[in-house]
Amino acid sequence: MTAALEGEILRIGRELADSFPSMARHPVKALDDKAMELASRDAELRAALFRFVDVVPACRSLEDLARHLSAFLREVDERPPSLDAAIRMADSKAGARALGLAATAGVRHMAHRFIVGETPHDALRLLADLWQRGVATSVDLLGEATITVEEADRYADRCRAALVALHEESAGWPQRPALESDSVGAIPRANLSVKVSALTPLLRPEAPEVGKRDAAVRLRGLMQLARDLGAHLHVDMETLDSREIVLGLVLELLAEDEFAQGPSAGLVVQAYLRDSSETVEQMLDWTREHTRAQPLVVRLVKGAYWDQEIIEARRHGWPAPVFEEKAQSDRNFEALTGRLLEARPLVRVAVASHNLRSVAHAIACNRALGTSDGDFELQVLRGLGDDLQHALARQGLRVRTYCPVGDLVAGMAYLVRRLLENTSNESFLAARMHDASVEELLAAP
Amino acid sequence: MKPFVNEPHAELRRAAVRESLLAALRGLEATLPWSVPLWIGDERRSGDDLLSSDPGNPERLVARCARATPQDVPAAVEVAQAGAREWGTRPAPDRGAALTGAANVMRRRRHELAALQVRECAKPWAEADADVCEAIDFLEYYAHQAIELEQGKSLVQAPGERNTMRYRPRGVCAVISPWNFPLAIPTGMVAGALAGGNAVILKPAEQSPASGLACVEALREGGVPPAAVQLLPGEGDVGAALVQDRGVATIAFTGSRPVGLEIVVTAARTPAGQRHVKRVVSEMGGKNCVIVDSDADLDDAVPAIVTSAFTYGGQKCSAAARVLVHDAIADELIKRMRGAVDLLQVGQADDFATQVPPLIERAAQERVLDYQERAEHEGRLLRQPGPVSSPGWFVPPALAVDLPRASSVLGDEIFGPLLAVERVAGVAEACDVVDGLDYALTGGLFSRNPETVDYVVSRTPVGNLYVNRQITGAMVGRQPFGGNRLSGTGFKAGGPDYVLQFTDPQVVTEDTVRHGLVV
Repeated sequence: MTAALEGEILRIGRELADSFPSMARHPVKALDDKAMELASRDAELRAALFRFVDVVPACRSLEDLARHLSAFLREVDERPPSLDAAIRMADSKAGARALGLAATAGVRHMAHRFIVGETPHDALRLLADLWQRGVATSVDLLGEATITVEEADRYADRCRAALVALHEESAGWPQRPALESDSVGAIPRANLSVKVSALTPLLRPEAPEVGKRDAAVRLRGLMQLARDLGAHLHVDMETLDSREIVLGLVLELLAEDEFAQGPSAGLVVQAYLRDSSETVEQMLDWTREHTRAQPLVVRLVKGAYWDQEIIEARRHGWPAPVFEEKAQSDRNFEALTGRLLEARPLVRVAVASHNLRSVAHAIACNRALGTSDGDFELQVLRGLGDDLQHALARQGLRVRTYCPVGDLVAGMAYLVRRLLENTSNESFLAARMHDASVEELLAAP
Repeated sequence: MKPFVNEPHAELRRAAVRESLLAALRGLEATLPWSVPLWIGDERRSGDDLLSSDPGNPERLVARCARATPQDVPAAVEVAQAGAREWGTRPAPDRGAALTGAANVMRRRRHELAALQVRECAKPWAEADADVCEAIDFLEYYAHQAIELEQGKSLVQAPGERNTMRYRPRGVCAVISPWNFPLAIPTGMVAGALAGGNAVILKPAEQSPASGLACVEALREGGVPPAAVQLLPGEGDVGAALVQDRGVATIAFTGSRPVGLEIVVTAARTPAGQRHVKRVVSEMGGKNCVIVDSDADLDDAVPAIVTSAFTYGGQKCSAAARVLVHDAIADELIKRMRGAVDLLQVGQADDFATQVPPLIERAAQERVLDYQERAEHEGRLLRQPGPVSSPGWFVPPALAVDLPRASSVLGDEIFGPLLAVERVAGVAEACDVVDGLDYALTGGLFSRNPETVDYVVSRTPVGNLYVNRQITGAMVGRQPFGGNRLSGTGFKAGGPDYVLQFTDPQVVTEDTVRHGLVV
């Protein structure tokens, strides 16, 4: 790492930070952040809050909601007076209804920060609005776990409908050259992220072939549709349990003749995995052996299943597949950013992070290679990277926001994960709330 | 001694691990059929009176086995009594070292022993591997317990008085083990008795003698003297003769309720010449219920229940047999369960994809099919469609719904891939149902309300209650395992009290006052 690059990272990072809107201009958001901050300070309260958020969709009535909320709150040892008042409210019927209503409204409000609508149709206006403001999107359909064939088929149907809706709607959007082309060529406006675990009920880590075979049937249909519509299909990565399946499945399908001309498709690399550089090399080797009209898009993320991977490994006595210190993941993220950017045009690169340092590093790294800003992409999550997304757009960088769509029931697992991420002590966003200086935020990991 | 840690299961999500298990299976197959002898002291007597075959291909012979008869029992007991005298005087760390040595032998042979279960008991890979790990855990956990027990318990001390309490071995222990955990359960019972300083005669299930042999081989190679652990393969008559023998002090049994209760009755007799009251440690199965409240997350509950009920074809005493689901979500649960049951992979145990392998033997197949027929007659049977695989004792997995409460399908332990789903008005009614059973082994609850969890905990009689997870897969030291009511008599296997059952407490009080002074 040269001093020049470090200086450049600082400069870019400061510039981005300066263009973040101030909290005061977003009163609702400030309120949200307040609740998050409270939760991040008290572990018991956080547990109570998350367990409540988790159970909301399963509650049958307002009284039922109030019963759950008060039961969770009773488990908090040191309760602020306001929570004691809430518990007392649950004791009377009228109070319970009022508490239930208020709590549901609270959870819905939080959910709307992360989930853009119940259906793709509901989300279209927001997607168009973002596009207007220089932000591209990828839609992710939240759903219940896929346990049966019917559920896998239903998810695939929803994906098909979403592809069609996104294709039709986005045709009418105004020109945004920064978002729809790079030096390789056109970049599709319609962009859908899909999960293999939702495409098959047979995903079992000890028997990858069964799940792969079953998912391939549905994924093939989606790829054909995306190809015919000229849309982009991104296959998300989940836990390590399914990585082998996802990689094998996608690369095998894309290698087929019928997909040589399209669709534009993508995979994900999770930098928190100790062996993620091997995955990168595996993808790059594949791209050398397979010529496709549209380069594979590689989205680089830190990884969203850290706790799950650690718990799974510790419960079984296995070595942790993920780095145990955040700084190790951050360093690996930077190394992989460099590796992927250098590998272009074999792949298109999307760097997905809310960490100001990681983002500034990617931008600086790309510029140091002498490539245009338009030849890579930055990605953020709806609700977590809203400020960053606008700051990047204002700089003319290509930013894509990952927009989950689905109802509250289906979105719960997603929502809880995002809330946890937002309130974890190591979270970049938590650091920002606690007034860490820009220099601290931009320090090399 | 290092602190106890569970043996890590094989990381089957990694292709290289799966390949090494398949290689071990190929290696094992070259050695089949094994010859399983009577093994009393240093004397081995081979024979081929009993044949152990692959439940997935009854033509494939896994072991030729000598058959002990009741006439062999007195000689074995006599050798064991001599063995007990010597082994019982060894300090606990020495006994612990032999058990740990046996654990290391099993660790070295881990993949081979898992492969053996795949063939001998049609146990699918994940389960077979977990079984070997559990056997290793039992050995090491009880080695620790033996050392801890030797410290004795502290007593109240008065001036001029020294009170000590220690635990003496009971003598000869007969272990009668089942086939469904062909290595873990015999190893656990044998290791518990050995840790307490007793000599053991193991009578393994006639369906899994080769795994029984592997257990005794490991113990002897680990350093347990031949007289202290003996192998008496055979059938029910040998087990009965062991239970009756005057020289046997303790009987450790895991199996069916009728046999277990018969042992309790027989062991209670004290014929002339017997100088002790026999102790019976008996684990006798269950009829395990999972309660699903209306606030359960079905995304989690459905897969966990399906795993609990159907993994290894439901041939586990901890397996789920009944689901008691809140009316409000019953339709949704049944619909999703049905979809999940239809997707269960039925096949040979050596295929990593298999979840429901063939059952252990023809009689088991006939019994379970009979219960499925009853369920069809008395209610509705939602059975996985398609032809029944063969060869092998396959039974398609099924759900039974709309059964009358009096149905034998709801009361009997079926031990196969059949799960009954019943509607209840609420958790209280579900608790009434559970409370009405004479079995009380495992139970499950899916609810996200801490108050509901407290309520069910306060009402359930079961030995092991699992909340918001599968109800199978107890881990040594983490989920000490065993049933209450007619499910068992014992303290929990893999728990801190287990070894105690194989000992007699003894208190020594010494007056330390001489001439009015404490000296």
